[in-house]
Amino acid sequence: MTNTGTSVNRRSVLIAAMGLPLGVTLASCATGGGGDDPADAEPAGNGEDQEVDADNPFGVQPDSAVEAVIFDGGYGIDYVENAAEIMQANFPDMTFNVSGTVNIAPELQPRFVGGDPPDLIDNAGAQQIGFTTILNQLEELDDVIDAPNLEGEIIRDTLFDGVLEPGTYDGRFVAVNYVLTVYGLWYSGSLFAEHGWEPPTTWAEAMDLGAAAQDEGLYLFCWGQEAATYYQTLAIDSAIKEAGDELRLSLEHLEEGAWSHEALQDVFHAMKDIIDAGYFLPGGSGTQFTAAQAQWSLEQQAILYPSGSWIENEMADQTAEGFEMRGFPTMALSDSPALGANAIHSTAGEPFIVPSDAENVAAGKELLRTMLSREAAEYFAREKLAPTIVAGTVPEDGFGSTALVSQTEMLEQAEGAIFTHDFVSRYGMNQEMLVVWNSFLDGQLSVEELTNDLQSITDGVREDDAIDIIEVT
Amino acid sequence: MTATSQDPGRALAVGAGPTPGGRKAPRRRRRHPLTLDYVSFFVMFLGLPLGLFLVFVIWPFAQAAYYSLTNWTGFSADFDVIGVSNYLRLFNDELFRTAVWNSARLALVVPLVTISIALIFASLITVGGSAKGNIRGLAGSDFYRVVSFFPYAIPAIVIALMWRLIFDPNIGLINGVLTAFGLGQFESYPWLGRVATAMPVTMFVIIWGMVGFYMLLFIAAIKGVPAETFEAARLDGAGRWRTIRSIILPLIRNNVQTAWIYLGIIALDGFVYVQALNPTGGPANSTLVMSQYLFRTAFTDGRFGLASAMGVVLALVTLLFAAIVFSVNRALGGRDEKGSSG
Repeated sequence: MTNTGTSVNRRSVLIAAMGLPLGVTLASCATGGGGDDPADAEPAGNGEDQEVDADNPFGVQPDSAVEAVIFDGGYGIDYVENAAEIMQANFPDMTFNVSGTVNIAPELQPRFVGGDPPDLIDNAGAQQIGFTTILNQLEELDDVIDAPNLEGEIIRDTLFDGVLEPGTYDGRFVAVNYVLTVYGLWYSGSLFAEHGWEPPTTWAEAMDLGAAAQDEGLYLFCWGQEAATYYQTLAIDSAIKEAGDELRLSLEHLEEGAWSHEALQDVFHAMKDIIDAGYFLPGGSGTQFTAAQAQWSLEQQAILYPSGSWIENEMADQTAEGFEMRGFPTMALSDSPALGANAIHSTAGEPFIVPSDAENVAAGKELLRTMLSREAAEYFAREKLAPTIVAGTVPEDGFGSTALVSQTEMLEQAEGAIFTHDFVSRYGMNQEMLVVWNSFLDGQLSVEELTNDLQSITDGVREDDAIDIIEVT
Repeated sequence: MTATSQDPGRALAVGAGPTPGGRKAPRRRRRHPLTLDYVSFFVMFLGLPLGLFLVFVIWPFAQAAYYSLTNWTGFSADFDVIGVSNYLRLFNDELFRTAVWNSARLALVVPLVTISIALIFASLITVGGSAKGNIRGLAGSDFYRVVSFFPYAIPAIVIALMWRLIFDPNIGLINGVLTAFGLGQFESYPWLGRVATAMPVTMFVIIWGMVGFYMLLFIAAIKGVPAETFEAARLDGAGRWRTIRSIILPLIRNNVQTAWIYLGIIALDGFVYVQALNPTGGPANSTLVMSQYLFRTAFTDGRFGLASAMGVVLALVTLLFAAIVFSVNRALGGRDEKGSSG
């Protein structure tokens, strides 16, 4: 399980090969292969001498320590701290260390190499560690999902459908994506009511709405540099809705010519018409993305914004008084799209992982089990105005949030027509695609150029021998 | 060498001992028996610094070079040696060539412009004043000297974020001022989002942050030139421009060379500036630089082996840059300086 032995050997060989006179200070070198400490490598609390029962299904040592490193993004880290407090009540002698960072990969990289990663990690954000990179160093988490929660229900039975898919790689379930995300378009209920506007259901209606907005001196859309690919997600969602699974799988498998699919091309052309008509607030390619989002939520110069449901929490401090944020499903091309007009793109985000090399694997899993219990999940929904993957934690009034209510409505009205796709982040293509999308939205690229650029990025990944294409269903 | 690796201090002392004395060393060593005093002196003043240098500077370099020959992901202790295929991959990677070219553009333009401006300012502040009376700077030069140093006192990341806001298309100061003067074409103009302006703006921001410090460096150098030299030049009828070109520049040649190399290294890195101004790599990747691509490859793609290869290339480019600066300086007649300054 640990590589300690081999790594020490290799290092000694390396030293000899280099012929460098090195003392004990070696361990402190910058790119160290080291930090391994054979004495520490033996995981504690692995349940061998600890009794396992329903209250302690993973055999946590009651006097051990647990460390969690959490992506400190839109949701903060207090919800994990809250779960730690709940767990503390059951394990009064345990020591908890919950810390936050935005730089998951740079901060945890040396610890992974050193064989000393934290017991629980929220591997999210722009600096997340690529899953394909660390896949074989992660614990499978089926036992967490099959364990009872603190209220006594089996966790698997309390979850929304399909929320375990995003954490499953090549058949191994290694990440619990904790937060349920709904993708769609977001708008101000009060602004739309004031002008008598309706959310568009097709791209043709969106074009008309753009004209109506222009009459009021407003723009239909706005975008920011680091979030230009939100429009790519919008385009893909719309095309999948129109054409169905065939297109989704062809994109997921990075197939040749995937971007030339008719539905996708039609959506690109519809977008290009909107860009050429001047319905995009200009300058997005040089605007920081939260500043751009404020053009929609605070200054209300643009009336629609495509995003995931984290947008309400993200812009909480920069939303106009009486905004009444609501969401609606991505537009389709026709009146009768293949997946139905109410189909939505929804998935679970914030992947929590337990590294196999962690000192206290059992406690990492126990903390995760605590988070998936009703008390902690309800805390999250209430504080973050977003549902976790645990169903039934959001009351009718959505804690007073119109966005949360419309999220629940979108999920209900979809009636199971829920899809997702993950190829862009799975193969780390977002950075390169951002460049292309900024140029396209800025009016610098034709639909043909956009298609070619995106295709060559996906072709590059597919033809890369170092990258394995993961089969998706 | 393998035997000495047990004790870095002693090994280095013996190895390094002969260097200062050159060929005479062996005789001297025979005269000095290995007393405690003698050995501890070498251990403290030669062995220790050299040991630290080896461990903290040379060893990481060696490691990076070694990792560049592997497929190390950076997140596990396992990897295979795959020879030079990382380097082959780099040379075939169009995006990496773009990044090298962008870094090269920065390394060419930033030092040239920064040094020119800094030199002109330094001259104005030291000898550019009234042509009558003592050699002195412009009126109020103390004030300029302090003010122009301000940008250097601000951390680079703050500078970059500040300028990003100033260049914001819709709420930025620049477009606000330009449109207020009736230049309608700058309404919502994305300075950092167009190929034509993204790189020049990036260069401008780096230069803005650097000029103050190099101006001070040159002021100090110019103050080291005896005032009589300038007086003589003035008596011979040299104007300000002629003074800069024929008196100041040759006399502070070594400072300029140092500045050039430092600025080149800053420009070849440039990570903080480009990452804050254009984290995506800029329009059509026009501001993507090597360090940014390296960071992305290492931490986003989990390819530390490939990233190490990029690091090695970056180090070689930097060395090449320094070598070019040295040879240009020498070719332009810097030889006479060599003797005096070593």
